[in-house]
Amino acid sequence: MTRTAFMVVALLLTGSWGALPVFAPVEARAAQVEETALDDQVREIAKTLRCAICQTENIWESQSVLAAQMRAIIRERLKAGETPDQIKAYFLSRYGDYILMKPRVRGWNWVIWAGPFVLLLIGGIMLTRTLSRWSASAASTPADPLPPLSEPSRKRIDNELRAYDQ
Amino acid sequence: MSAAPTPPLPPPTPSPMDAPSGGEDRFKLRGWHVALVASLIGLFLLFYQGLWGDPSAIPTVLIGTPAPTFSGPTVVDGSTFDLSQYRGKVVMVNFWASWCQECRLEHENLLALYNQFRTNPDFVMVGINYQDKLEDARQYLSVYGSPFQQVRDLKGTISIDYGVYGVPETFIIDKQGVIRHKEVGPIVGPDYNLLTERIIPTLLQSPGPSAS
Repeated sequence: MTRTAFMVVALLLTGSWGALPVFAPVEARAAQVEETALDDQVREIAKTLRCAICQTENIWESQSVLAAQMRAIIRERLKAGETPDQIKAYFLSRYGDYILMKPRVRGWNWVIWAGPFVLLLIGGIMLTRTLSRWSASAASTPADPLPPLSEPSRKRIDNELRAYDQ
Repeated sequence: MSAAPTPPLPPPTPSPMDAPSGGEDRFKLRGWHVALVASLIGLFLLFYQGLWGDPSAIPTVLIGTPAPTFSGPTVVDGSTFDLSQYRGKVVMVNFWASWCQECRLEHENLLALYNQFRTNPDFVMVGINYQDKLEDARQYLSVYGSPFQQVRDLKGTISIDYGVYGVPETFIIDKQGVIRHKEVGPIVGPDYNLLTERIIPTLLQSPGPSAS
């Protein structure tokens, strides 16, 4: 709700004041555009890194000092010309898999990534086996030979049928 | 219509096919039971670790890797401390802050440890002041005492280079400049004994870098 409201306000503001930056010096505008692009890059990287002291937050959303320092480091390394992958690799080399919001599929991590699907497969196999066993036993029951009809019964059926036909 | 009473149908005899297949089923299920119990135990351990384990414990990846070098202004007078000047020595790096209660807990031990090894020319100890105000850090040191150097980590670059996520954390660097030990939390009790009786003496006795 507040986010939508904020966006509406932001849209209104940009709509009504969008003409203003035209009067700003060209260099200043260029610098601003560069800064915004840099901010975007910082945000993209920071969103993939986990805040080391607040666990569930990434370092873009975290208010902690450590996260702020990490964002500053991302920014400086981007300015120095490093690629996002190089920067992520740097944090990975210091904090290990922990620092990634989405840990790499590697080593023991495979268990976590593949585990649910393996369990699903095992469950599916067990279900199929059980179902086939059920259907097999259900199919075999009528195939059992019925006890031979006794002579009085046969006579009675014949009588009944004859009575029905008449 | 015949009124003659008819004897009831004899009860169906149980099929001889049922008995052995039932026994077979039970045997197979036992195999599944073992697998099921094993995976349940696995799941339980996973949940135990996830729910009752320490979520803030981060396994370190830095042991056995070259210690990041650093330099920075000292807390006391702002002169520059540079780790690269201490190549070939055993260096103990201790991250601390004045607002950190556990750092006070270990401070006595830090002083004792320093006094134990200070006469060894191959031993260097340095404190890194983490996310702190200069006045608070100075005040802390004047109260609790600091015979070894203290460096300010102005932008957090030193701490992040060492993968620090809280204080106190302590690293032991060997004569080759490789991180050999990391201590998360205060150096007290058995941790202190391990450092002073085993880790540091062993590293001090090992030969220094030969070629470099």
